Formats: sequence, C-alpha cells, structure tokens
Amino acid sequence: MKLKVDEWVHLKSPIHRWEPKSKLVGLVALIFAFAGVKDWYLLPAMLGVTVGLYIASQLPLSFLMKRLRYPGFFLLGIVVLLPFCSGETVIWQWGALTLRWEGVQAMLLIVCRFLSIVTIGFVLLGTTPVLTLVKSMRSLGLPSLLADMTLLAYRYLFEIADSLATMKQAMRLRGFGSSGKSRTWLLPNRQELRGLASLAGTLLVRSYEQSERVYKAMRLRGYGMKNYPQKTSWKTVWREEWGDSSSQLSLILVLLLALGFVVAEIL
Amino acid sequence: MHIPDGLLPAQVCLGGYGVTGLVTWYSLRQINRQPDPTEGIPKASLLAAAFFIASSIHIPIPPTSVHFVLNGLLGTLLGYYAFPAILIGLLFQAIAFGHGGLTTLGVNATIMGIPALIAYQIFQLRSHWGRSRDRRWSTGLFAFLAGSIGLGLAVLFFFGIVIGTIPAGLDVNTERAAVFGLMLAHIPLIVLEGIFTTMLALFLLRVKPELLTSTE
Repeated sequence: MKLKVDEWVHLKSPIHRWEPKSKLVGLVALIFAFAGVKDWYLLPAMLGVTVGLYIASQLPLSFLMKRLRYPGFFLLGIVVLLPFCSGETVIWQWGALTLRWEGVQAMLLIVCRFLSIVTIGFVLLGTTPVLTLVKSMRSLGLPSLLADMTLLAYRYLFEIADSLATMKQAMRLRGFGSSGKSRTWLLPNRQELRGLASLAGTLLVRSYEQSERVYKAMRLRGYGMKNYPQKTSWKTVWREEWGDSSSQLSLILVLLLALGFVVAEIL
Repeated sequence: MHIPDGLLPAQVCLGGYGVTGLVTWYSLRQINRQPDPTEGIPKASLLAAAFFIASSIHIPIPPTSVHFVLNGLLGTLLGYYAFPAILIGLLFQAIAFGHGGLTTLGVNATIMGIPALIAYQIFQLRSHWGRSRDRRWSTGLFAFLAGSIGLGLAVLFFFGIVIGTIPAGLDVNTERAAVFGLMLAHIPLIVLEGIFTTMLALFLLRVKPELLTSTE
C-alpha cells in the first residue's frame, strides 16, 4: 500500500503561498457553502470558482484525476439509479426502463457538488503539508490530545504499512494462499481466515509494543509537561497566525464568496 | 462504506459534525478522568494507524474479496480512545485515498464511531458473565458480539442516512424496504466480521492478553 501525500506541496503558486491557517478557514468555509448548494443556477458559478481555484493552485490535472477515480466510482454506484427510480416526469422510456427528469436533476446536482467539494479539498491538501495543516487546526482550537494523536498516527502510518507489506511477503514465501485446493465459491477458507486474523493480530501486537517504547522515549524527553508560551506583541502574533496582508485579503475574499453562495441559496 | 462528499445536504453534514463534536468531547472527558491521560495517547495513535492499515487486508471469498471494517474490535481494544482514533483514521482515509470526504467526515465518524463505543460496552460485559466460565469462551463470544454488532449498527446507520437523505421521489415504504433489503444482504458480512473479530481476539488473548484487558 503506497500512501501518497504531500506530493505537490513544493510548488510556488499563489495558493501554495497563502498562509495555511487563513487558507484552511477560507477553503473549508467555501466547501461547506458548496455543500449547501441546491439551486440549479448556482451550479455554473460553483464549478467556475472550483476551476479557477484549481488553475490558480497550478496542481497538475493528473493529480486530481488520480484522486477522483475511487470516490467517483463509489458515488456513481450510489447515484446511478436515481434517474430511474426517483421523480415523476418521464423523459425517456424503453421497456421497463424509464428515465425521470427529477432523478436526472438530483443526480447532476450531487455530481457537481461532489466534484467541486472534492476538488477544493484536494487544492487544500495538495498545497499544504499535512503537518502544517494539523498545526493550523491546533491553533484554531483542536484539543491537544487530538492533535498529538493525529501527528503520531501520521508518523507511524508509513512504518506500519511497510511492516504489513513485509509480513505479507513472508506469508506468501511460506506458501500462504497457494494451497492448490479447489476453493468453494462465496465461502471463505477457514484456515486462510485464521492466517489473516493472525496477520492482523501480529500487526496490532507489534504496534502496541512499539507504542510502549515510543511513550517511554517521549516521557524521557519531557512529553506531558506544561510549556509556557513566550510573550510577544499582539501584532506579531496576529501576523504569525493569519499571514501577511495578501493572505488576509484572500481569506476575506473567499469568505465573502462563501457567504455569497449561502445568501444566494437562501434567497 | 464511507459517504462521499456532495451526497448529503449541508444540514446533515453539519449535524454529523455536531454529533461528532459532542461524542469527542464526551470521550475526551472520560479520557481526562484517567490518572494519566497522556499515557494512552501513543498506544491509541499507533493502534489507530495499525487498524487503518489492517482494514486494508483483503479476505479472499471466491470470486471476489472483502475487507473488514474492524470498528468493533477497535472499540474493544481502545475504549474511549476509539472515537478520536476513528475520527483520525477517517481523516487520513479522506486525505490519502479520497475514501469518504471532508464535509462528510463528521457523519462518517458518527456512523463508525458510535457503534465502536457500543461494542466497547458490550465487550466489557464479559467480565460479569464469564467469571465462572472459561475465559477463552467468554472472550470469543463477546468479541463476536462486539464485532458483529459494531459493523451491523454501522451498516444500519449508513443505509439509514444515505437512503433517508437522498432527494425525494421515494416514498417511505420503498425507503424502508430498501434499508431492510440492504441490511439483509449485509448479514453474511456482519457474521464474517464477527468471526474474524473472534479469531483476532483469541489470537491476542493467547499472544498479548494485556491488550484486551488494558481498557478495563
């Protein structure tokens, strides 16, 4: 399993330069404004803003395409039936198959919302390193326990994935999964199931033992002690928190845009 | 089994975040009551990462293969840390693979996390029941219950929310029939998840029993 994060964070687009905290607040507000869109005439505007932001972020199109594949198929699996079973106005009929207008509308709305929200999400994640993002969330009030857990989980995710790959290889080399016996359809092999349960169990035991060593090492380095912030003027704090004037201006603009969508939806 | 972005109306997404916030607050309050709340953090984070990876193990069931959710087991091993752990696992799944979504993170955490907490409570019952009986039996039985009820509730919440919020045109009876039918179709998987959780719990009981007792 290959985890691909922080692949394109080294680019130098305006979105990359946008101060992470302002960016997080602005883009998340926009995402939620998009989630509330239900009116048809807002769809072109929503898609327009999305495309504009993606172009401004200078991320390659292949990045988005690769990321959209899995959730896209999943969403299609859910909504593909809508045009056939939801609504009353029949627009096309072939035998028992009837295409209904309300269903088509609902499906298009969901697909457009999905594309816009996911794209903006990937603009945020593609232009900001995950660790910076967690730091920003922490300064926005995420409880420290959650922030610590996120950082630790992130740190060990890759290592555990590697260790699973090694264990799976070891299992294969010892002949797992190639018993040669004919398999019954729709029934899992009991022995295989037991083997995989031991695999998952070993992974958990190893992680647990590692976590104990990590905890001791962290304690020895002073983890859990209270640290006191140094005194600085509010101006520096404000600047450090929300970035320079262009970052703040972008934040205000995007928040106004999000507000615009919400107001347009209500009116 | 994660709800993608764009499917749910904004109110439901915000509602999901509201419930998640509340349950997280409750979990953190319970965690902070422990003598040293920081002690469980590395264990919970590493196990969260391990669960995230372990749920990618595919079980061959010819002609296809399935993977387990393991939210019931996560609850039994992590106790109150399970909810934050699931929240973080789902965040990574959304970031790294695009499974689930950012707006639906709250809803998905509710779908997976509340059954995990219930599974934890179910698994704790074994100490009342199994004191006089064989420990292997009680662990196996309650692990099965925790695993299958954990997944069963998650499946129920999932279809309830998806079908209940999908735009109009479907009447109440059709919706009810659809939820019921989809639940029936998932029963084999729910049983399988229970069996796998039992096997895993028995493995841990043999190899590292303190992992099962540390949340008591």
